Amino acid sequence: MPMVLLECDQDIPERERHIYFKAPGEDSRDYLPAANAPTIPGTLSERGCSFCGAKLVIGGVLKDTIQMIHGPLGCAYDTWHTKRYPSDNGHFQLKYSWSTDMKESHIVFGGEKRLEKCMHEAFDAMPEIKRMVVYTTCPTALIGDDVKAVVKKVTAARTDVDIFTVECPGFAGVSQSKGHHVLNIGWVSEKVGTVEPEITSEYTINFIGDYNIQGDTDVLQRYWDRLGIQVIAHFTGNSTYDACRSMHRAKLNVVNCARSAGYIANELKRLYGIPRLDIDSWGFNYMAEAIRKVASFFGLEEKAEELIAEETAKWKPQLDWYKERLQGKKMAIWTGGPRLWHWTKAVEDDLGVEVVAMSSKFGHEEDFEKVIARGRNGTYYIDDPNELEFFEIMDKAKPDIIFTGPRVGDLVKKLHIPYVNGHAYHNGPYMGFEGFVNMARDMYNATHNPLFRLAAIDIRDDRALLVEEAA
Amino acid sequence: MGSKVDDLFDYVQERCLWQFHSRTWDRSENIDGIIGKAIDLLAGREPAADTPAERCFVADAKVMVADFRSRFPWIREASETEVTEVLGGLRDRLTDLAITRSRNHELTHTLY
Repeated sequence: MPMVLLECDQDIPERERHIYFKAPGEDSRDYLPAANAPTIPGTLSERGCSFCGAKLVIGGVLKDTIQMIHGPLGCAYDTWHTKRYPSDNGHFQLKYSWSTDMKESHIVFGGEKRLEKCMHEAFDAMPEIKRMVVYTTCPTALIGDDVKAVVKKVTAARTDVDIFTVECPGFAGVSQSKGHHVLNIGWVSEKVGTVEPEITSEYTINFIGDYNIQGDTDVLQRYWDRLGIQVIAHFTGNSTYDACRSMHRAKLNVVNCARSAGYIANELKRLYGIPRLDIDSWGFNYMAEAIRKVASFFGLEEKAEELIAEETAKWKPQLDWYKERLQGKKMAIWTGGPRLWHWTKAVEDDLGVEVVAMSSKFGHEEDFEKVIARGRNGTYYIDDPNELEFFEIMDKAKPDIIFTGPRVGDLVKKLHIPYVNGHAYHNGPYMGFEGFVNMARDMYNATHNPLFRLAAIDIRDDRALLVEEAA
Repeated sequence: MGSKVDDLFDYVQERCLWQFHSRTWDRSENIDGIIGKAIDLLAGREPAADTPAERCFVADAKVMVADFRSRFPWIREASETEVTEVLGGLRDRLTDLAITRSRNHELTHTLY
């Protein structure tokens, strides 16, 4: 029974082709969950919209850029502050949110004038900021506002600004993944190659698909600095608009999140001949491998071994302490897509944790090829899950801990299973050697927290005694 | 030979990502390029690294070959002929898995 029709899905049997159970002895080439497909009517999806994929995940991370969202206020509010990607300039991108605040009358009469006014207003209010990304949303795309024409007018009036347009309304694709795609291709087509960077090292990379979640970029940057490697652009963790315009000058593209940013790496390879090296930045073994590969490309092997030895000596004892206490724990990963394949072997090899269920909201078939190759037998692999499926899978797989987002996290609380924020982390960063120790610490704290056990006890009747005993 | 190919195949599936890039053409380039460099390294030859793409293949191949040597002692004793044969089998298996019989519908999608 490699493809599974769950009890809760009896009325939507189409869901069977999205849920795979890996069993020993099967040829995994014969099965692959359908992915990046439209959500089936009748299922309550946990997906984000395409606009969100462009704004919240990639564009909104830029630390020196106004993010003008041409649409109702909710589109701006709901993609603001829900992911923690700090920056070294005082977190400008987290402090503010910009919207044209479209109301019914603007929808009826058109929003172009309002957009133009808002763009000027934003630049006037923040005179030190000269870069802007403008996003369309469902209503402004449906009424046909010509955003590029407005951008042209504003740019003509303000010669010192540069503006990028993302025309990817929420309905453009089946999930946030479409937003990644549109932003990647638009950026490489319109912006890469328009700024020349200052080159300070003969070893140059772009670090692609890392968004500085709770300081991930900082950790990795310390490694590149110690190797003498200049990062031309982070795409887009702690990055600037202009750094990402100069990506064409790097000698190597190092890709972490291939789902959200593999497109731009492919295009940089096709257009500029820059090779693409995919790595895993989570996990001790993977991080060491990644450093070795990048260093090998530039002939910096000795420096790499020194760095790995120092970091291992510093962090491995702590990791081992947690490993001893996490060994044999069962984990579910209920996130977006790539973290499934980044994490499943890392937690198994480095922490002795077994991943028993994994779901992806926006992964493609490529992501399932990767995770099924790496994942264990006896594990569920689910595309675009709904709430009832979540409960049924948890009942079957019985994880001790779940990595997911706050939205699903609230459901997890009802099951009295500890959850760790798998999107924005509990207490990150999680990348790199020290990051994986942080991740192990959060797993340990969650699985050893007595509150979950206590909260599961019904204090009515005689069972209240149990609470007193436990206390 | 089959079990030796199995060993290497299982390793690549667990540890590597290059066989699963997004398109048929780059999967094919990676599989051929990295396996080719690995054969050179296992045969004791310095692989050509004249272009950026070749240097990238060598970077991936070096880590893989180091792991092959530490995990599979038989490979340290293998002749060049055997290495070529086994890694050829690995290349064929990966091509079959990731390209020929892949159920990934996006590999050749025109709107990618």
